[in-house]
Amino acid sequence: MPTDFWRKSKVAVIGGGSWGTVLAQLVSVNCNDVRIWVREEERARSINSQRMNPDYVQELRLNPHVKAYVELERVLDGGVDGVIWALPSKATRAESRRIARLMSGTEFLWHATKGIEEGSLKRMTEVLREELPIRRIGVISGPNLATEIARGEPAATVVASDFQEVIRAGQELLNTPKFRVYSSTDVVGIEWAGTLKNILAIASGALDGMGLGWNARSMLISRGLAEMVRFGVAMGGQEGTFLGLAGVGDLLATCSSPLSRNYRVGSGLAKGQTLARILEELGSTAEGVQTARIVAHHARERNIYMPITQAVDTLLSGGVTVQSLMSSLMARPPMPDRALS
Amino acid sequence: MPSNSKLSTASHPAIRFEQVPIVEGSLHRMNELRSSVLSGVKRQTLKDFENGKLDLLLGEALYAEKSRLKHEKATLFTRHRKATDQEVWAQIQSGLLSPAAVVDRRKLLSQVISHYGDEIGGHFDPRVYWFATRSVPWFFSWLLNAASVQRFLPWGMTQSLESRLTILGEVPALQKLAQKGTVLLVPTHQSNIDSVLIGYIIYLMRLPPFAYGAGLNLFSNPILNFFMGNLGAYTVDRRKTNPIYKQTLKHYSAELLERNIHSIFFPGGGRSRSGAIESRLKLGLLGTGLDAQLANLKSGRPNPNVYVVPMVMSYHFVLEAGSLIEDYLVDAGKHRFLKSRDESSQLSQVAGFFWKLFSSQTGITVRVGRALDIFGNFVDDEGRSIGPNGTQIDPRAWLTSGGELKADQQRDQEYTRELGDKISERFHRENTVLTSHLVAFSFFETLRRRYPDLDLFRFLRLSLPQRSIPWPEFLEQAERDHSRLRQMADRGQLYLSNDLLNRTTEEWVRDGIRHLGLMHEAEVVRTDGSAVWTEDMTLLYYYRNRLTGYGISLLADSFDKDSARMLAGRERARDFDANGFLA
Repeated sequence: MPTDFWRKSKVAVIGGGSWGTVLAQLVSVNCNDVRIWVREEERARSINSQRMNPDYVQELRLNPHVKAYVELERVLDGGVDGVIWALPSKATRAESRRIARLMSGTEFLWHATKGIEEGSLKRMTEVLREELPIRRIGVISGPNLATEIARGEPAATVVASDFQEVIRAGQELLNTPKFRVYSSTDVVGIEWAGTLKNILAIASGALDGMGLGWNARSMLISRGLAEMVRFGVAMGGQEGTFLGLAGVGDLLATCSSPLSRNYRVGSGLAKGQTLARILEELGSTAEGVQTARIVAHHARERNIYMPITQAVDTLLSGGVTVQSLMSSLMARPPMPDRALS
Repeated sequence: MPSNSKLSTASHPAIRFEQVPIVEGSLHRMNELRSSVLSGVKRQTLKDFENGKLDLLLGEALYAEKSRLKHEKATLFTRHRKATDQEVWAQIQSGLLSPAAVVDRRKLLSQVISHYGDEIGGHFDPRVYWFATRSVPWFFSWLLNAASVQRFLPWGMTQSLESRLTILGEVPALQKLAQKGTVLLVPTHQSNIDSVLIGYIIYLMRLPPFAYGAGLNLFSNPILNFFMGNLGAYTVDRRKTNPIYKQTLKHYSAELLERNIHSIFFPGGGRSRSGAIESRLKLGLLGTGLDAQLANLKSGRPNPNVYVVPMVMSYHFVLEAGSLIEDYLVDAGKHRFLKSRDESSQLSQVAGFFWKLFSSQTGITVRVGRALDIFGNFVDDEGRSIGPNGTQIDPRAWLTSGGELKADQQRDQEYTRELGDKISERFHRENTVLTSHLVAFSFFETLRRRYPDLDLFRFLRLSLPQRSIPWPEFLEQAERDHSRLRQMADRGQLYLSNDLLNRTTEEWVRDGIRHLGLMHEAEVVRTDGSAVWTEDMTLLYYYRNRLTGYGISLLADSFDKDSARMLAGRERARDFDANGFLA
């Protein structure tokens, strides 16, 4: 591959939320032609003229070679070499159907969506593979709070794919002096880790809403991690992945930062707000809400022991207080401190 | 949509064999192409080891070959081959003992590759083909007449004719694709009979002859050697596991495909030992389809595409079932299973197979599956790869990396792995379930339900009175399993034979019992009208396994998983060998 191939390539970012915008900015450091697809005319105008996407990331001034469009046709005009997928999991199947006809087959795609398809329990790489005329798909996942990266603080992430060339290209496109990109071949583990931690972020927010301290939060994080490992391994992921950036790394970031949307859902619920109200205030997707319901359901069916996840699911369906859930979790019989039996 | 078109009656061997003209195919040019194929193989294989440590590579191959030759007992027919082998390796040894400055290692390597290439290389003789295609149906119909007259009255003949060899599925698509590109036929593999039968089926479908790899041991028989050697078979020696041999074999197969010579691979490697449809495939040879297509695209040849066509053979009985399942159990159970017999497939048994086949109104069902491209996408009749959402896939785009059409070992292995997964999925979906398969499955499951706590190996040693169940109970279970399979067939997850579709429970069950493992000395399932029992648990297990991999067994799948796990560790390691070559 010519060494400057990605420098001269064209990359499309599908989704102009906070993470999509920041990813576009990161890629623009290594690539001269970045197009970002946004839904609203107004947002496109704001990106193209003011170099800003103020509704999602206030601090960020976008590089001049990031261009925003509302038409998918224009984003993919003339063919692109890379696609970064940054849409919510709920929108992924429908939008990928729209984009399928616009692709040539040479594209590499990385998705940055931390969620799972309801009903089918399919991971995003599976959904995208089913809908798009490409195979070379990867995933980007890690402790990446968009606002912090937008401010230029150091951070790291993991790119995983079955294809080494997709991993290498992802590293080439995303690596910057402030952003380190690690590699993994455990696509299943990476995707499940990123998905499952959102449930625990809600729980962590709830603890915070109750005004609890670090002991309680550490208990949640480590026992929560055990649940993630249990479920992730049952789905075919590797245990070690959950000890990495996309596992415990992401878990620590989302469970500790009030910036995380899922965290805000939890703390709102603990303070007695209704879910509908919280989501309305957030104005963007909190993947954990949907994920908790899906995972709790499948864990019950498959007999995977996930008490915290079940509690979060109960909390989200309303009618119980965080306090009572906490007491019943604490009242369970003593058990060994292990993830896998 | 998978079509259910059956070849017309007129295509049956006994009716049609004389009317078919010789179909010319690329294999007819085999003898002209042979030297260019072999020099291509040499060039490509040398290139693979360009940057390798040749002393080490040759040393390891020499060691393995010498120990193989030491333990090999030569027969009258293999004596010559063994002597040549020994001579070549003695030369390599003395070469390796001289300093590299005196004896060029590349020359030694090239000598080894030529030696392997000569051994592998097939021939094709149109006259032998002409003779074989006419004598095989003659032989078949002779057996048919001689055998049926004894057992059936003449008016039963027409019906039994049709029931012998049923070819279903995408025959017209295959015929069309054979004109538009190179066909790589990948059949399931249960029996040594497969090769003969497939060759004949190809002829019946009016396709030109195909090249195929056959075990070197089959070439030891002078008669088989003559026919196979002249009918486009090339040799595959599973005992040679060194990288030089493997790469030579791979390149040989790729060179044939590149020259538009249709080929057959058994992607499961050897015959299925458990009786199950193959779910773990050997990816090494399979990957040569991609290699060939890439080379064709790069050189701008016309009709560059390679089409992978799965084919599923369904038998009521498998000649070697007994030894296959024992091999499997010994491997899975280690000390828990004691081997009790060792049968080999003698020529007399092969003849016996055909005799039984034609004398018993039993049949063989073959389904030609939907064609795939080298990545595992479906291909339409025009040979275009179909993508999701009405898209069409350009294979060239999928083989382009960094703006350049080129090979990428890891990428291509991944594509091939996905092709392998797809073929295995298609094998299950294109499978035609016969009455005997379902009888074996239902009986095994009913029995298994009675002894849920025994492990498989203890279960297989149940005493005769323990392996008997009342007829009504069995019928009930059979009916339940049948309706389940019927739902699956409606969903396109498998096919049911006409007997299973159209006959009453009692009828198809009796038909299944009659056909199940007909060839074996023990009757696999017997009934006296009030009870049903088995005389051979391991054979029953073998035939029952045909329906594993569909998730329809409740109790028994738990030990399927156990043995699968035991085998999986080893098989996974076998996907790639130490040198990173696909095994």
